[in-house]
Formats: sequence, C-alpha cells, structure tokens
Amino acid sequence: MATTTASETYPADYVEPVRRTLLPERWYIHAALWVICLIVGFPLFYAVLVATQNNSNVYAYQFLPGDQFENNWNIVMNLANLGNYMLNSIFITVLVTAGKTILSLLAGLAFVYFRFPGKWIVFGFVLVTLMMPTEILVIALFRFVNSIGWGNNYLALIVPFIASATGAFLFRQHFANIPAELSEAAQLDGANPLTFLIRVLIPMSMNTIGALVVIQFVYVWNMYLWPALIIQGQERQVVQVGLRTLVGADVGISFGPLMLGAVIASLPPVIIFVLLQKQFMSGFALGRDK
Amino acid sequence: MTAQAPLLIHVIAALIGAVYLAWRFQRIQVSPALGGMIGAAAGAVGSAIFMLPLNYCTFESERSLIDAVFGVLLIGIGMALVVLPVDALIRSVVMRRRNPNMGGTAQAGAFKGWLLPIVFLAPTLIVLTLFLYYPSLDTFRLSTLLARLGARRTLFVCVDNFTSLVSDGDYLNSFVITIFISAAIVVLGLALALGIALLAYQPIKGARIYRTLLIWPYAISPVVAGVIFLLLFNPTGGIVNYALDNVFGIKIGWLNDPTAAPWAVIIASVWKSLGYNILFYIAGLQNVSKDIREAASIDGANVAQRFFSVVLPLLSPITFFLVITNMTYAFFETFGTIDYLTGGGPLNSTSTLMYNIYEVGITNNDLGKAAAQSIVLFALVIGLTVVQFRTSGNRVNYGA
Amino acid sequence: MRKSFLFVVLAAMLALAVIPAFAQETVDVPVWIAFTDENRLGWAQDRAVEYNEMFPQYNVTVEGYANYEELFASTALAAEQGTLPAVVQYFEVATQDARDSGYFKPIAEAIGDRTDINGIAVNFDDFVGPVREYYTIDGVFTSMPWNTSSAIYFSNMTILDAAGVDTPPTTWAEIDAACELVMALETAPEYCWTFPNHGWFFEQWIAQQDEQFANNGNGREERATEVSINNDGSVALLTFLDEQLAKGYLYYSGAQGGDSWGTVDQAFSTQQVAMAAYSSSDTATYTNVGTDNGFEVVASFLPYNEVTGWTGNLIGGASLWLVDGLSTEVEDGALGFLLSINSTENAAAWHQLTGYIAVTTSANELLTEQGWFEENPNFSVAADQLAQSTITTATSGAIIGAFPSIRSVVTQAVDTALLTDEPVADVLAAAQEDANTVLEEYNLLNAE
Repeated sequence: MATTTASETYPADYVEPVRRTLLPERWYIHAALWVICLIVGFPLFYAVLVATQNNSNVYAYQFLPGDQFENNWNIVMNLANLGNYMLNSIFITVLVTAGKTILSLLAGLAFVYFRFPGKWIVFGFVLVTLMMPTEILVIALFRFVNSIGWGNNYLALIVPFIASATGAFLFRQHFANIPAELSEAAQLDGANPLTFLIRVLIPMSMNTIGALVVIQFVYVWNMYLWPALIIQGQERQVVQVGLRTLVGADVGISFGPLMLGAVIASLPPVIIFVLLQKQFMSGFALGRDK
Repeated sequence: MTAQAPLLIHVIAALIGAVYLAWRFQRIQVSPALGGMIGAAAGAVGSAIFMLPLNYCTFESERSLIDAVFGVLLIGIGMALVVLPVDALIRSVVMRRRNPNMGGTAQAGAFKGWLLPIVFLAPTLIVLTLFLYYPSLDTFRLSTLLARLGARRTLFVCVDNFTSLVSDGDYLNSFVITIFISAAIVVLGLALALGIALLAYQPIKGARIYRTLLIWPYAISPVVAGVIFLLLFNPTGGIVNYALDNVFGIKIGWLNDPTAAPWAVIIASVWKSLGYNILFYIAGLQNVSKDIREAASIDGANVAQRFFSVVLPLLSPITFFLVITNMTYAFFETFGTIDYLTGGGPLNSTSTLMYNIYEVGITNNDLGKAAAQSIVLFALVIGLTVVQFRTSGNRVNYGA
Repeated sequence: MRKSFLFVVLAAMLALAVIPAFAQETVDVPVWIAFTDENRLGWAQDRAVEYNEMFPQYNVTVEGYANYEELFASTALAAEQGTLPAVVQYFEVATQDARDSGYFKPIAEAIGDRTDINGIAVNFDDFVGPVREYYTIDGVFTSMPWNTSSAIYFSNMTILDAAGVDTPPTTWAEIDAACELVMALETAPEYCWTFPNHGWFFEQWIAQQDEQFANNGNGREERATEVSINNDGSVALLTFLDEQLAKGYLYYSGAQGGDSWGTVDQAFSTQQVAMAAYSSSDTATYTNVGTDNGFEVVASFLPYNEVTGWTGNLIGGASLWLVDGLSTEVEDGALGFLLSINSTENAAAWHQLTGYIAVTTSANELLTEQGWFEENPNFSVAADQLAQSTITTATSGAIIGAFPSIRSVVTQAVDTALLTDEPVADVLAAAQEDANTVLEEYNLLNAE
C-alpha cells in the first residue's frame, strides 16, 4: 500500500549513462539475465501451455501445446461464465482506479496548496488509515455495508476503496516538490485551484499518475477476500473469486480450464502494466538510461 | 465487585497520568502543576476508554486471573492512547511557540480560502470514516461478543475471545507459522531480488527488455500465483517433482507434507513479489552507483569488498522499506495464494493469522473470535507501520 | 415532414424498447448448487433451460459453487444481506443449522395440499423409502432429494488381479492383506489405497461400528448437547489408518473437507493407488476412467472393522432447500423446477450420469427395465449398501448444530493422527473437547 511514496525520494536526476558499474558488461551477464528471465517466466509459460491441454496431457508431462484449447475455452467461458466475471472486474477496477486517482489528486491539492484550520489533524486522520488494512476489518465492514443496503451490490466493491491514503500522500509529496513559483504565477493569472490542478499540476504529474494507476489497478484487480464475502451469486462477482468455480471439488481439478482461466484473469493487469510501463518505471526513477 | 472499584481504577489512573505529565512538563520547563492537572484528566479518560464499554467486566469476581490481567493491560493501553498524544500535542504547541519557524512547509504559493480544501477532502474523509474508522471500532465491539450469522441471539462475553487465544494451540501455532512464512518470504525474496537487480540495473544493451521480463509478475494476483503453483506442485502431474525426480531422484510432498507445504506458499509468494522487489533494488542501485562514482575513496577495493562495505549499507533504507512492504504482503496478500494452493493445511502448516481469521470468522461463523484475532493482527500491523514511518523518515533524509 | 419522420422513428424506437420489456416479464428463479463440473453443473443448467422452455414465465438460473462448505458459508452471508436465491443445495450436515436459521421452508409446507404445480404432479410416495425418511424432518418432508449417495469402495481390479486378489476387500483386515500383495508387485503402484479426509468418511466408519456421533439419540430425540467422537470405534479407525500410512499402504493427500475429493480422484485415475474409498456420487467417473485408461474398476461396499462387524452405512449427499419468504410466483417456479428435476426420466438420467442413487421408485423401475443395473453392476452398490443397512440411531446419522465446523475439527484430528506421533486417543480427546466447545457456543446462541 504505502509503497509508492518511496519512489518520490529517488529523483531521477542523472541523465548520462553510468560508466563505472559494479560489474563489467560481459556476455555472461546477458546469459545470466536470460536464464533468470526464463525461470521467472516459466510458471506462466507452463500455465499457457497447459491451457491447451487436458489432464492426461498434464499427467504425461507433454511439453507441447495440446489440442484441447477449444474445449477448455468452452468450459471456461460457458460453464464457468468467466467472461461475465471479467467484465465485472474490469468495470469495478476502472471505476475504482479512476476514482482513487481523482480523489488523491484533490487531497494532494488541498494538503499542499491550502492553509486551513485543523490541517494537521485532518492529515493525521488520513495518515492513520495506512494502518488499517481492509483485510482485518472485513467482518465488521461486511456488517456495515449490508446495513446500508449495499450487500451484493457493485457499490460495495467500489465506494469503500475510492479513497486512498497512499494516493493522497503520493501526490502531496509530489506537489510539495513542485516550485511554489508556479502556483504564485497561476494565482497572478487569476487561475482557480482546479484550473491550476488541471492545467499545471496534472501535466507535470503524468508519471506519478501512471505509477499510481498501475499500482491501484493491480491492487483492485487482485482483491479477493472482500468480494468473496460481500458478493453472492455470479452476476456481480469478480474474476479472482470466479476462478474458484474452476477449481471445483467433487471431481479432480481440470488443469486445462483452470490454467486458461488463470491466464485470462491475468491479462488485463499485465496489459495495463505493459502499456504504462514507461510511466511506471519513471515514477520509480527508472528507465532513464539507455 | 464493589461499587467503589471502578472509581478506584480511575483515581489510580489519574494519579499515574498526573505524575507522568508533570514530569514531562518539567523537562520542557512548563509548569508541572498544569501538567499534573492535564495528566490526571487524560489518565482518567484513558482508563475509561475500554473499561466503560466493557462495564468493568474483567474485574468481576467470577472471572479468572487472566481476565483481570488483561483488564489491567487494557487500562494501560487506553491510558497510553490518551496520555501520549496529549503529551506530544502540547510539546509540539510549545515548541512551535518558542520556535515559530518550524513547520509550515510548502505554504508558499497557497491558495486562499478554507472551504475549498474541505470540499476537496470531503469525499476522502467521508469514505475513510465510514468504511475504515467505523468498521475498526465495530471490530472492537464484535470482539466482546459470541456471535454467529443467522443465530437467534448474541451474547456478551467480556474479553473471553482474547483470553481464550492464549491457550489456543492452533492460534499460537498460526502465530509461529506467520512469522516463519513472513521471514522466509522477506529473506529469500530480498536476497534473490538484490542478486538479480545487481545484474539488471546496469545500462547494458536491452536493459529495458530484461527489466520488463523480470518485473511483470508484479501484475499477477496472489490468487493466480496460487493456481499456477497448484499445477506446478501437484502430487500428480506436478512438473516440479517430475524435474526433481529425474534430476535428483527425490519427490517432495509440497502439498501434503507439513514441513514442505509452507515452502510451497513461500516459493509462490516470492515468485509473485520478486518483480516488485527487483524494481526497487534497481532504482536503489542506480542511485548507489551514482554515489559510488562520486566517492573516490573506494578505488582499489574489489567487487565483494565494494558490495559489502559500500553498496549494502547504502541500500539499507530501501531494504528496510522492502522488508516492511514484504511483511505486509506476507501477512495479508498471501491469503489468496494459500486459499487456492493449500487451504491452510496440511496439519495447519500454512494457516497464517489472516487465513485463521477467515477460517474462524467465515467458515466456522464465529464472528467474535475472528474479530478478536483481527485486533491482535491489527496491533501487529500498527507495530509494523510505526517502524515503517520511522524508516520513511530515513528515506526522506537519504533521498531528498 | 421531416419532423414527423423523426417522430415516427422515435416512436418506433420507444416501442422496440418497450415490447421486449413486456415479452421478458419472466420470474427469476436463482438456484445455487455446489457443483462446478460439466457433468453436474452442466446437467443442472440443461434441465433449467428445458424447464424455462416449457414454462416461459420462469427464468431458472443455476449457479455453481466450488463445494458444499463454500456454498454453506455463502448462504449465511447472503441471508445476512437478504440476497438469498430461491433454492440452495445444502449438505446433510447443515440440517440443524437450516432448522435453526429459518432460512428455508419445508417443501411439503410450500406445496400444501396441491397435487400438482403448474401441471407437474406431486408424488412424495414415489421416493424410495430410506430417501424419503432421511429428508423428512420432524414429520415433514423438508427438502428435495437430488444427489443422494453413500460412501463406497473402488478397486482397480487390473492391479488387484495381478497381485492375486480376486475380490475387493470387504473389511479393514482384507484391505491390509490385499495391500501386502499389491505392494509386493514388481509393478506396484506408488501407494495401495486412499480416502478423502472428509468428515463424512469418519462418520461412515464409526456408524458402521454402531457408534453414535452425538448424544440425545445422535441429536434426533432432542437437541444434541455433546459430541461423542472419542469412542472405541473412532480409536480403532484412526489406529487402523495410522498403521496403513506407516506401512506405506495409505496415500494421504493432506487436503481436508471439500478440497480432499479431487486429490483422491487424481490418485485413483492416474493409478497412483489401487483402491480408494469415495462417494458413490462419482461411480460413473470412476468406472469410465478405468475404461478410458485400460483398467477395470469394481465398486464394492465400504470396508468395515472386522472386529465390530458391520451395522450399516449413512445416507449422504445434499438436497435442495426452498428459501423461505419468496413471492408465490418465485416459489411455484422453484417448486416446479424441483419436481421436474426428479421426474422419472431425469432421476434415471442423473443416476446414470453420475452414480447418485436413483431417488424414485419409478426411476429405478425404468432403469431395471432397461437392464442398466445388470450391465453396470457398479451402479447398484450404493443402493444395495443402504438397503442392507440396519437402521439404528448410529446409522441414521447425527443432527447437530455447527456440524460443518465440527467436521473440520474431525478432519483436523484425522490429519493430526496421521501426520504426527501423538497417540490417537489423545488426539481424539482433544478433538472432542474442541468440538464440544463449538457445539456449546452454537447452542448458547441458537437453542430455544
């Protein structure tokens, strides 16, 4: 959760390539890296392979693609209805990520560019929530959300998560590093705070926003315990929980459909990660050297 | 118990509070009498925080000694919760008065008005109040109840849900397991990540490709990690044992041997969080290598010497930060992995505190005990977060 | 001109939007079951489609949960939210919880004195005796039988024959003897036999020895207040299992409860073991896996403790419960579906597809007529085992509160007995204490 704040403390302030490194560039570094990349990638690669196989292929350690893809696809999409889970996950993840980003920007703006009574108390109030992982509160949260009639409702998956202490701090720290002259100039031009946010701050914060989007997208996409509790039935359930219908019980696990489901469920966050990789890494002071 | 006992509790608490604050005030040269008065009030209020809602039940004569001890502990915690912040607040007010330049950072270029920031912050504050603060308080209330979903009634059981944990072998076992799994995830995860980052941080050809290929598991969910390793570690058709059998002639009961199963969870978790750790170590090493370039004094040292005497210490803030985030990951996020991979078994060998809460609260529908366990875990997290804030202070000094 | 054209288009769009709203005015009837496989979930979904075609006013949807335990937990959560579906598949151990929670309405009560629901005849007398009795609680036919089964034993006869074992073992001692021969084979499997560490098997094996699980007539005379899982029968059972494990005969996957089924399937289908105790629910799968992989599978009664002899076995499996407080249309839609799922053809097809007992007399007659049981002897084992059982308090099965939680105490005890050196008696004594705490707390909150 409170991870991103660290990135801001490592400004990417060097541009020229580093010549003096700890290890010299040699062929064996490349070889070692390739081997490591293959090991890291192997579990997913094997999962993709098994996604085309049936259990007999798996038990026979057949390392070639099988011919069961269509059958597995049918089970995953028609019997387990994974498509529906995927749509639900995409829906709530996009909304929560967008909501979190907007609320965090506003909170950052309020904390850095305003003086108001009780600011430190409000700040402390937000700060303390970093110590309250939702996982610990699920049972009480379940009772509260039900009592306001949001049980089994998308709202229960969205609203409790759109406020983010992490995001607020990320932007607070980022804005605090932006020279005060900018806001003074904006005020001289008669800009109001929102215009200033949209015209000046956001364009200057694209990398931070990108990093936050990746982190929050992955976080919300991966939510498991809370949706399992608050959502009953398949209509509004998310994919992390939906995968359980592929594990099944009374019959041994069919690995083909399970792996296909797992791979499909991993696609959106991986795609977002690859698309926003540049921003993400810049947000972490990476990727400046070529 | 007698009617005077509650009064006695608060009088003693007020005395302790008064003495403490009077002493603290004296140290910053403020009137100890004022400190004594504030301290007495804070102590009395603090001792009531838990005792009033509990109605002093821990000291009822039919309760056991352990309940009374727990009650004293609660009074102490309650007092600390009030007295320490009051102390800190007054000190900071006094310090600011004496030294008006302190604080007020980033105030230059502030916009005018106080309504607008409140409007900007309102959604965040409302959501945090309703969905974090309120359930936290409710968890405390729940923890004093015997309650089940769908039951006819609930019963107030004082602090039984807490005191029963002390003698609950399964719970203590899951405490040990959580520490073990977390420690292994942290040590293994960070060591591997640092090793790989040492290779990957350098500006070699194709660095960006390597980094992408190394970091992507970050985007995989704990659930999917559990699912994939369920395939890899499966006793039938599991490729890990197939490889081990062919190369070393051994087979490991990843999912049914209580000594091996925690490692299945550890390996899956290390794999999943590896990308994240590598990412931070690469960022750290890039900064470090810049520092090294600037520091001429280490010329002549060999690679290993340079690594241990210069690089590792320079990386320590980032290592500390990663220790905390990985601990948090091990505490909470491994739930999804465990639920799919081992289901807490065999022999409860992978039943972490978080998984235990789920088993007790949801599977066994024992809400009060689960709430009590949540609060214990809560206390652990607070401890961790305090450490995290201490280190984040270091990071700010180091980085910016 | 243009304006009126626009108006017509708008009106047409409005009409198009409204017509389907009228046409689709169907009553939603959600059904939650604990199956996720193509055979069972798929079959139930197909029946729902048929039913919806026959009665277009209803829209029955069948959703699958990973196992009974998860469905049980989800039901309690959904009840808290007021989002229960129309029908829930509850397993046999949830009977007391169902009774106390008031989530459900007895089928007989919902039907009243009607003889048909939308033209589907109501005939409780068609259900075979033991089944009808089992699902009649407090004198009222309560839930709809659907997947009724018993615990039986599957043997890979190809391996047993090779080892010189002609018939599947009928007692624990015979298991041991058969395993000695099997494991002596040059081509011996990795292990000899396995079982799912599911509370149901513990219950089956102690009921065979006529040992009760709980007091007050196994909870059937009065609310059970204490469990009695620490008894001679259970000590004998865990001692036997522990010995089998020590000899390397028994394969224990380490999975408990709902997760344990799949591990046994895997071990048996890949011939990692020669024999497996399992539910008759998968007779079809077990028989076919042999045919597909070139070995012969024979089903037999669940082996018993030869010292105490065999009293009988428990009925098991889940039934379909009707949620209380539904509107009349939804309730009738649900009742109609519940009746149609047990029509003669459906009950027979369901049995053939899976191995669950054919729950109606008419279905059994149909199957006999077709020569099904003669051609497929494995499929009559479970029904025969129940028919030959002596009905005692013990073999009727326990009805106790928080049974699902108590089951996990039991499976943990089995787990502990198998994986540690703790004496079996100590393990059981501790488990009994734990289970009694659970039961006591449940009763504190639920007893009248």
